[in-house]
Amino acid sequence: MSKDKQSNPGLGSVWKFFSSVKLSFSLLLIMALTSIAGTLIPQKEPAAAYVRGFGEAGARFIHFLGLDDMYHAPWFVLIMALLAANLIICSLDRLPTSLKLMKKDPESDLKSMRRPKEKFTLPGVPGDNQDRLQGALAKLVGPVHQGDSKDGITLFAQKGAWSRLGVYVVHASVLVILIGALVGNFFGFAGNVNIAEGETVDQIMLDTRQPMKLGFSLKLNKFKITFYDSGMPSEYRSDVTFIKNGKPVKDVVMIVNDPAEFEGIDFYQASYGTTPKWLEVKYTHGHKSYDVKLPYQRWKELPDGGFAGVSVFRENVRMGQMYQGPAARILYRADAKGETKELSAFRAGAKFARKGPVNFEIIKAVSVPYSGISVKYDPGVWFIWVGCTMMVVGFFIAFYFAHRKVWLRLTETGKGRTRVEIAGATNKNRPGLSRLLTRLAVELKDQPQEAE
Amino acid sequence: MEALSNQILVAVTFAYLAASVLYLCHWVIKVNVFGTLASLLSWVTFAAQTTAIIMRWVASHEMGIGHAPFSNLFESLVFFSWTLALIYLIIELITKLRIIGAFAVPLAFLAMLYALTLDPSIKPLMPALKSNWLIAHVITCFLGYSGFGISAALGIMYLVTGQAREPGSKRALLLDDLIYQTVVVGFILLTAGIVTGSIWANSAWGTYWSWDPKETWSLITWLVYAAMLHSRFMRGWQGRRLAYFSLVGFACVLFTYFGVNLLLSGLHSYAT
Repeated sequence: MSKDKQSNPGLGSVWKFFSSVKLSFSLLLIMALTSIAGTLIPQKEPAAAYVRGFGEAGARFIHFLGLDDMYHAPWFVLIMALLAANLIICSLDRLPTSLKLMKKDPESDLKSMRRPKEKFTLPGVPGDNQDRLQGALAKLVGPVHQGDSKDGITLFAQKGAWSRLGVYVVHASVLVILIGALVGNFFGFAGNVNIAEGETVDQIMLDTRQPMKLGFSLKLNKFKITFYDSGMPSEYRSDVTFIKNGKPVKDVVMIVNDPAEFEGIDFYQASYGTTPKWLEVKYTHGHKSYDVKLPYQRWKELPDGGFAGVSVFRENVRMGQMYQGPAARILYRADAKGETKELSAFRAGAKFARKGPVNFEIIKAVSVPYSGISVKYDPGVWFIWVGCTMMVVGFFIAFYFAHRKVWLRLTETGKGRTRVEIAGATNKNRPGLSRLLTRLAVELKDQPQEAE
Repeated sequence: MEALSNQILVAVTFAYLAASVLYLCHWVIKVNVFGTLASLLSWVTFAAQTTAIIMRWVASHEMGIGHAPFSNLFESLVFFSWTLALIYLIIELITKLRIIGAFAVPLAFLAMLYALTLDPSIKPLMPALKSNWLIAHVITCFLGYSGFGISAALGIMYLVTGQAREPGSKRALLLDDLIYQTVVVGFILLTAGIVTGSIWANSAWGTYWSWDPKETWSLITWLVYAAMLHSRFMRGWQGRRLAYFSLVGFACVLFTYFGVNLLLSGLHSYAT
C-alpha cells in the first residue's frame, strides 16, 4: 500500500484518514451518542403519534431526520458504513506488517537480543549447561534457535506469533455480522398471521403490510393458556398442523421460547386473543323473523333465500347516552345476484335503531380464541452466529495471547562457571512476560541432583 | 428456606457495609489489621451470600416453581452484588492491594441495599423467561457489568488517591493496567451477554436484534468500551483520562441496567 501513497498523494491521505485509530475511536463514540436518540424517541410509530408527543414542529423535525426509524435512517447507516470502511482499511493497512512480524526469520532475531532482565551464574562451562537450558527454554517457550559468537552462545525461542492475527479475527467478525444483517435485510422476510382455533391459513401479512402466500398452510388445532395458582400465566401454547398440497405433513406444538420450523421458515408464538366466529342474530324481513347464525366474513344463505354475513363486529360500542353494547356491520343481498347492502346491527330490542324492511338484531356473539404467530425467514442468521463466535474467540486471542520472544545468552566467566542472561520482548502484556522470565530463571537456577 | 435466605441476605448487606468501613480504615489509618479483618469479613460474607442464593434456588424448587434466581430486579441485584464481590476478591488475591476494597466493596453493599427496598418473595417464572438461555445470558451480562463496576471503582481510586499527579509511579501504572484489564474482562463478558441474548431473542421472538431500548443501550455501552479499548493505542489517553472513561462507561452500564427499565419501555420490562 505504501506504493499507492507515493504514486497518488490524494489517495494516500484518504487511506491514512481511514486507517487511523482516531477515526475508529470517534466513529464508535459518534455511533454510541446518536444511538441514544432512538431509545428516547419511540420507533416506527404512526405519524400521528409523533405529532401528539412532540407537536407539529417536533414531528416534522423527527421525520426530516428519520428519527422515527433512526437505526435505518441513511445518516445512521452511513455512520455504520464509515465504521466498516475504517475497519477494512485499517486492517488492510496493518496486516502486511503483522504478517511480516509473524514470519520474521528467527536467525535475524538471534542477533537482536534485548537488554537482559535476569542475570546469574551456574557451575560448569556453557557447553555443559547448554542442553539443560535449551530443554527448559523449549518446554516453556518453543523451538530453540542457536547462534554462536565469540561472546558465547545465544539461544532464541518465541511463542504466540499467531496471536498477532487475533485483532483481525475480531475486525473480520464485525464485518461478518454486518454482512449477515444485510443478507437478512435483502433476502429474508418477517410477518405475522392470526389464526382462529380450527381455521387454516395459507398466507401471512408481511411487516411491510403486503400479504404473502406461504406455499403451504397452517391449521391451528388448539390454543391454550395455562396459569399458575397465583393467576399469572405460565404458558401460551398453540397446536398447529402444517399442510402441504392438501395433506397434513407435520404436527407441532409452539410455545414461547420454542418456535416451530417448516421449509426453512420459523414460526413463533407471539400473541393471542379472541376473534368473533359467528353471530347469532334475529333476522327480520317484512313481517317474518328468524333466528340465524351468521358467519364472520363469509356469506350464508338465509331461510328465505337471501344472503348475509358479518363484516365487522365490535363487542362494546358506546354512542353517547343513546346506546352502549355490541354492534356489527352486516352485508346483505336479497338473492344470489342482488345488490350488496351494508346494514348496522345492535343488541336486540335497542330502542333507537332505525327499522327498515330488512333488519338484523344481535342476540349473541360467539368468539373463538386465536393465536398470533410471527413468521420469520432470515438466511443471514448463520452469518451472525459465525460472526459472534469469531468475535468472542478473537477477543481471547487478542487480549490473552501475546507474541513473546525470549533470549538466553551463555558466556564463560573464566572460573569454570557460566553466566546466564535472560531477555524478552512482547507485543503486549509486559507483566505477563516478566512473570515468564522469572519462571524461566527459577527453573534454570534449579540444578538437577546429579550435577551437585 | 426462603425466609432464612432472605434473613441471610439482610445480614450480608450490613456485613458488606462493615467490610467497606474496615477497608476504608485500612486505607485512611493505614493499619494492616483493618485490611486483614476486612478481607476476612468479605470472604465470609461472600460465602454467606453464595449460600443464600443457592438456598433461594432450592426454595423455588420446593415451591414447585423452580427456576434460577435471576428472574426479577431483586434477584438480579443480589446476583450483581455477588459478582461485584467475586471480581473484587479475585483482584485482591492477585494484587494483594486491599485499598481497592475501600472503593469496590461499597458497590456490592449498595447493590444489596437497593435489593432490600424491593419485594423479596419468590415468584413463578413468566413464559417469556422460560428458557435455558436465561442462565447463560444473566450470568455473562452481570459478570460483565461487574467487571465494569470494579473498573469504575479503580477509576475513582485512581482519581481520589491522586495518582494523576505522578502518572509514572508504580502504583499509578498498576491501577491504570487494572482499569484496562477489568474493562477487557467486562467487555468480553458483555459481548458474550449480548450474543447469548441475541440467540435467545432469536429463539423467542424470531429476531436476534430488534433495536429495543435495552438492546440499544447494551450496544451503546459496548461501543463506549470499544472506544475505550481503542484509546489504548492513542497517545495521552492513559492515566487520568482512562480513569474518567471508566466512570462514563459505568454510567452507561447503570443506565442499561436501571435507567432503561425505569424510564424507557420495551421488551425487557419484566426486569422491573
